[in-house]
Amino acid sequence: MRDYIRLAGTLAIVCIVAAALLGLTNIITADKIVEQTVKANTEARRAVFMAANSFDQIEFANEAAPLVAEVYEAKQDGSLIGYVFKSATKGYAGTVEIMVGIDMNGVVQGVKVGNNNETPGLGKKAEEAVFQQQFSGKLSSAQVAVVKNGTPKENEVVAIAGATITSKAVADGVNQAMAAFKQLAGK
Amino acid sequence: MELGRFLVSPAPHIRSGESTQRIMLDVIIALLPAMIAGVWFFGINAILVTAVAVVAAVASEAVMQKYVLKRPVTVSDLSAAVTGILIAFNVPATLPLWMVALGSIFAIVIVKQCFGGLGNNFINPALAARAFLLTSFAGDMTNWVAPGADAVAAATPLGLVKGAEAATQALPSLMDLFIGNVPGCIGETSAALLLLGGLYLVYRGVISIRIPASFIATVAVLTFLMGGFDASLAAYHVFAGGLFLGAIFMATDYSSSPMTPMGQIIMGIGCGLITVVIRFFGALPEGVSYSILLMNVATPLIDKFTIPKKFGGVKKSA
Amino acid sequence: MKLWKTFFNGIIVENPALRLVLGMCPLLAVTTSIQAGIGMGAAVIFVLLGSNLFISLIKKIVPGEVRIPIYIVVIATFVTMVQLFVKAFAPVLDKQLGIFIPLIVVNCVILARAEAFASKNKAVPSILDGLGMGLGFTLALVIVSSIREILGAGTFFGISLFGEAYKPLLIMILPPGGFMVLGFTIAAVNKLTEKKKS
Repeated sequence: MRDYIRLAGTLAIVCIVAAALLGLTNIITADKIVEQTVKANTEARRAVFMAANSFDQIEFANEAAPLVAEVYEAKQDGSLIGYVFKSATKGYAGTVEIMVGIDMNGVVQGVKVGNNNETPGLGKKAEEAVFQQQFSGKLSSAQVAVVKNGTPKENEVVAIAGATITSKAVADGVNQAMAAFKQLAGK
Repeated sequence: MELGRFLVSPAPHIRSGESTQRIMLDVIIALLPAMIAGVWFFGINAILVTAVAVVAAVASEAVMQKYVLKRPVTVSDLSAAVTGILIAFNVPATLPLWMVALGSIFAIVIVKQCFGGLGNNFINPALAARAFLLTSFAGDMTNWVAPGADAVAAATPLGLVKGAEAATQALPSLMDLFIGNVPGCIGETSAALLLLGGLYLVYRGVISIRIPASFIATVAVLTFLMGGFDASLAAYHVFAGGLFLGAIFMATDYSSSPMTPMGQIIMGIGCGLITVVIRFFGALPEGVSYSILLMNVATPLIDKFTIPKKFGGVKKSA
Repeated sequence: MKLWKTFFNGIIVENPALRLVLGMCPLLAVTTSIQAGIGMGAAVIFVLLGSNLFISLIKKIVPGEVRIPIYIVVIATFVTMVQLFVKAFAPVLDKQLGIFIPLIVVNCVILARAEAFASKNKAVPSILDGLGMGLGFTLALVIVSSIREILGAGTFFGISLFGEAYKPLLIMILPPGGFMVLGFTIAAVNKLTEKKKS
């Protein structure tokens, strides 16, 4: 019997010491971690909307843009200057997350491809700036189409070589964001 | 070597004229028609790719054996040359030549020699090289061109069926598919000529018909069932892609396929099953090479379970 | 003299990754870039130092029957501390290493050293053993991740080595490349140490 008490007691003491140490670490780091998370999220949104400096998530549900998962109001010093949309469309291998920033005039400010499982060397190239920059400046009045080669027209982007499906997935994400924007802006 | 473990039965012995060299020569002869077709369809590039693949394979085998492993050089058994040809058959004619050479070196040095040389490779070296190249250079390995002199970019028939590419081009006819007048790897397109080579190998007794027949039959039956009882779709799946090349020349590799007749049929069915699953549900339009590689790895297990029962032994006491 | 031996034991003679083949999961998973490899190595060194020191100090009062749970609690505590600190002060590293920091808890190198060394030795040798083993593990991580990053991405510490024309051997930063590089590294180490003996 005394043996059990000794075993349990030692284990308990070790656990208490461990908990105290972890509590201390948590006190030191908690604020910093929240700060980092907020910073990382703001930075991810700023990457598609340079002009804004704060973002507030808003509720959004719309049948016209079912693939839009999250919507944020982009604000510059407190005044609304546009929206940031996060959509998830079907790519070549699973879903592709796409972040799109659109200002109040309906001009695409930037597009960023987030989490995805596309093929390295092909679809993964959607993460490269060269491809994403094509979307900047597109107007939400017309849907973006993907062309395989040649010179793209006003509302077209050139697909990544050998990765048409991924390119289309990104364009879909942008189009979904545009549809969502139209409803929010009432245009 | 523990030679003591092997039993040699008393004379008389049957002498066979078979040698590795003779078998490999037969394989090369069987591959020739498809090679000529590849050159006919894809032009001078096909010759260059094949030459580079063979030279790199033979040279790396010789260097590896002579200088690294310090063993007798056995390139004259032609097995490295066959691996080289098969690698060339498994890549598009547009692949940069250094990549072809790299594939050959990988196949021979890592997959073949590092595991003990001829007869000890646990997976097919040429297919391992294909997987290696496909994973590393996905873009160049899927840079298909239409047959003909001007090398227009085009999608493979299976790519079109899968809808992986924008359907701006019409599906090739079944006849084109059969004779090989479609975009694809150098040696995989002509089902007819590969079949001819396969029949020669079966006639010469180099391969048994079990693996190719069960492999192709499984693909035919499954695509027929899963494609909604559409015979033309099934025929399409049978003749398109690397099925004939894989079933006849790759899945039958001696050291990486089962030895028992039952095991060979299991191997063929398994390959067919995985191929169809990849073609229908996977991300890739074509699954022959990965299906064979997977079954290669399962080979020791298949052999273990299909080993013939020994008769006349003493019952083990329970 | 003997202390030095304890220290170097972990780096070469009994390198945890390349000789004892422990901790393969992080070695294969995070070695896609040198930065991640070194980050992982630093985290493992810290945890090993902490757990080895702590366990050698409390070895007298730890009853044999519950030593493994106690070791796990100690190790998990240090790992969680590392995780929180990395999250707070090195978010980039946190993103790169992700789930593999909490997984250090089940890295067999650490439990193995606790059981095989720290629980039987005094504090100073235990610290040196932890440091040596940690450095040895880091060395393995650096070797494997350098080869993989140079071949698989054409970069070293993220700096492009061969210019635009280089076509990276993508397979090297994918899982099969990890296994291949690990196999060849262990083979090379075996070859080198074999010569020394004769």
